[in-house]
Amino acid sequence: MSSSPMEVDSQLANGSSVVAAAPATAPPSKSGKLAESLKLEHQLLRVPFEHYKKTIRSNHRAVEKEISAVISGVSAAADSELSRDEAVDQLSSLVSRLQGLKRKSEDGSRTEHLQAQKCRARLEHLESAELENMSEWNNTRMKRILVDYMLRMSYYDTAVKLAESSNIQDLVDIDVFLEAKKVIDALQTKEIGPALAWCADNKSRLKKSKSKFEFQLRLQEFIELVRGDNNMRAISYARKHLAPWGATHMKELQRVMATLAFRSNTDYSFYKVLFEEKQWDILADQFKQEFCKLYGMTLQPLLNIYLQAGLSALKTPFCYEDDCTKEDPLSQEAFRKLAQPLPYSKQHHSKLVCYITKELMDTENPPLVLPNGYVYSTKALEDMAKQNNGEITCPRTGFVCDYTEVLKAYIS
Amino acid sequence: MELNSIKDAFDRVTKKQKLSSSKSQEVIDQIGQEIEHALLRIQSEQNSASPSDHNLILSELKTKLKAIAPLNHLEGTQKELNMALTKFPKLLEKSFNPDISKAYRNIDFDLHTVNQIIASHFYRESQFDLGDCFINESQELEAAAGKFPFLEMFQILEAMKSRNLEPALSWAARNHDQLNQNRSDIELKLHRLQFVEILQNRGRDEALKYARAFLTQFATKHMAVFQKLMACLLWAGRLDSSPYAELLSSIHWDKLAEELAQQFCNLMGESYKSPLSVTIAAGVQGLPTLLKLMNVMTGKKQEWQTMKQLPVPVDLDREFQFHSIFVCPVSRDQVSEENPPMLLTCGHVLCKQSITKLSKNNSTRRFKCPYCPAEVEAGQCTQLYF
Repeated sequence: MSSSPMEVDSQLANGSSVVAAAPATAPPSKSGKLAESLKLEHQLLRVPFEHYKKTIRSNHRAVEKEISAVISGVSAAADSELSRDEAVDQLSSLVSRLQGLKRKSEDGSRTEHLQAQKCRARLEHLESAELENMSEWNNTRMKRILVDYMLRMSYYDTAVKLAESSNIQDLVDIDVFLEAKKVIDALQTKEIGPALAWCADNKSRLKKSKSKFEFQLRLQEFIELVRGDNNMRAISYARKHLAPWGATHMKELQRVMATLAFRSNTDYSFYKVLFEEKQWDILADQFKQEFCKLYGMTLQPLLNIYLQAGLSALKTPFCYEDDCTKEDPLSQEAFRKLAQPLPYSKQHHSKLVCYITKELMDTENPPLVLPNGYVYSTKALEDMAKQNNGEITCPRTGFVCDYTEVLKAYIS
Repeated sequence: MELNSIKDAFDRVTKKQKLSSSKSQEVIDQIGQEIEHALLRIQSEQNSASPSDHNLILSELKTKLKAIAPLNHLEGTQKELNMALTKFPKLLEKSFNPDISKAYRNIDFDLHTVNQIIASHFYRESQFDLGDCFINESQELEAAAGKFPFLEMFQILEAMKSRNLEPALSWAARNHDQLNQNRSDIELKLHRLQFVEILQNRGRDEALKYARAFLTQFATKHMAVFQKLMACLLWAGRLDSSPYAELLSSIHWDKLAEELAQQFCNLMGESYKSPLSVTIAAGVQGLPTLLKLMNVMTGKKQEWQTMKQLPVPVDLDREFQFHSIFVCPVSRDQVSEENPPMLLTCGHVLCKQSITKLSKNNSTRRFKCPYCPAEVEAGQCTQLYF
């Protein structure tokens, strides 16, 4: 095996050599390949961490808020003219408030601890991947990928069942997706409350990424008011909730405000589309995108990503022939269909597989050619000759010859 | 993979979080104590106090709390915690591939096809309840029919686990012709195992009866095995002290179960391994290369979406090599039906187009093989079939 730099058969726009850009890679060792495959697991560690971070921050905010309130309560009591009994009542209520806060904070701490455990469990899982036990580890990965798919597609029962039956609850993010489910379900019943609450919870992150999701939620609420002919309420709603976004999203704001003039049964397509039911589906999709971005998840299910890569890597013109071996996934109709728009794989070096033994025909097991042009491995033909008195029968054509008539082929 | 730095970073986070947590508790306790103290003072002066005394106590409390500045206390530990919380994801992004969807092409897979593949996968892995649950949730009700062959296989294998060979034997008998055609000797192996079981557990007479009924059919084609089994009759019930003791080993059961599964799938026209697992495993191996390629191809999204062939080879393990791919050493083209591989008289192999070029399209013109001093004629080259 020789090492070769990654040669890309296309010129880069700036004309620079690709060989310089991608360093020469020797054929990667098994452990090198393992390390590369583990590097794909960003989502596995990132998602529970984001969840953990969020919990920490929201717990802390709650504590700060309560403490603040208690201190203000004391100030207020001190500044106003209270009777002794009133003072006693006020202070007692503040004390019980603090006790409540203490309990809540302890609960919060426990939750944070559990979430930290989850993060650790994932780190340990990654560590446990060793060359010797990969078949079990790969099996678990397959299940993780399937659970991720189920959660994205909202097949929650299957997700839970699969996670429980394989005992991988710590390695999957069912709880995170269930949070999203609440918002998505609400949006699908045209309820905006949970979505807005989610935006409030994640205000700073959304602001940092310049997200306009909240704006779009508000727009939809506005449209619903217009749909119900509540023009006055719509206008005051717009003043309160839409105007602040005017600086950055004026065009969209203007377009939606114009619906006031047209009403919900307009035929003017430019505005009609805003009243369509599927705007809610669009909102749900947008939520999914924002949600995934926030948690460091890919937009597409992991299954699709790996499937696409795998299909392309396996796709050769020979897969589509009738006598394609059944062990090749692309011999199946369903896989062929999925692979149809994907690019074929490419080989730089010959790799020959013996039809009989399915083993590689290389320098240790060189290919031999029968007089009819059919090629088989040395091992296969030697065995066949041994068991049949030196006679060779081509399994594909029935052609018979003697082992001595076989020629050696030299394939580099 | 080097995970220690990540584990350390995470330990730092949890440490800071514990500090922050205990600080919060401390502060809450402190405030609580001050308020309770004030409360006690107000309540204890019930009898002799003048109206303004409790107000004085309240003002003192207010001042005291201001002096403690509990929120400022919290700020210190919280800031450190925030720093650790911000650093960790950055470390993750550095150590891992932060976006594995970069190489994803915007082609939507047909939902039904994917769901059918998944349902089939569950059934094949003997997870029948899971498969049913999935089919219901995804509404892929037609895929339920795919369950039955795998259910049968599962039942046969389960029976074998409890040393019951009946279902396996009846399956083998039913598919006798096909198995013979595929040159599989599994029927013999099953009968052999059953014979040994009977011999060891039910005695010589039963075993002999069995041999007469079922083993004689193998007498001619598998003479050696047959004679060996008949010899075992001499050690009925105590095979473990015979020269054939290894026939009792449980390895035979495991291997036979595996072979049966393979043959079963073969007869069904299916692969032995789940095609979904194979494809995903190939994807795991291939994705790092594709992502590296994307890094080099930034700004060429259009080309990426529409290319007919990957521009770089994706190195997969041997188990994924299902087809012979011959790459002409001269033109670097992959051979195809239109451009097949040809054997030169010297033993080297080139693709047809290369030969045409080298011989200037003249079948009798002699040209030198690019790899050895031999001179060859295009017309004398034979087509190869891998």
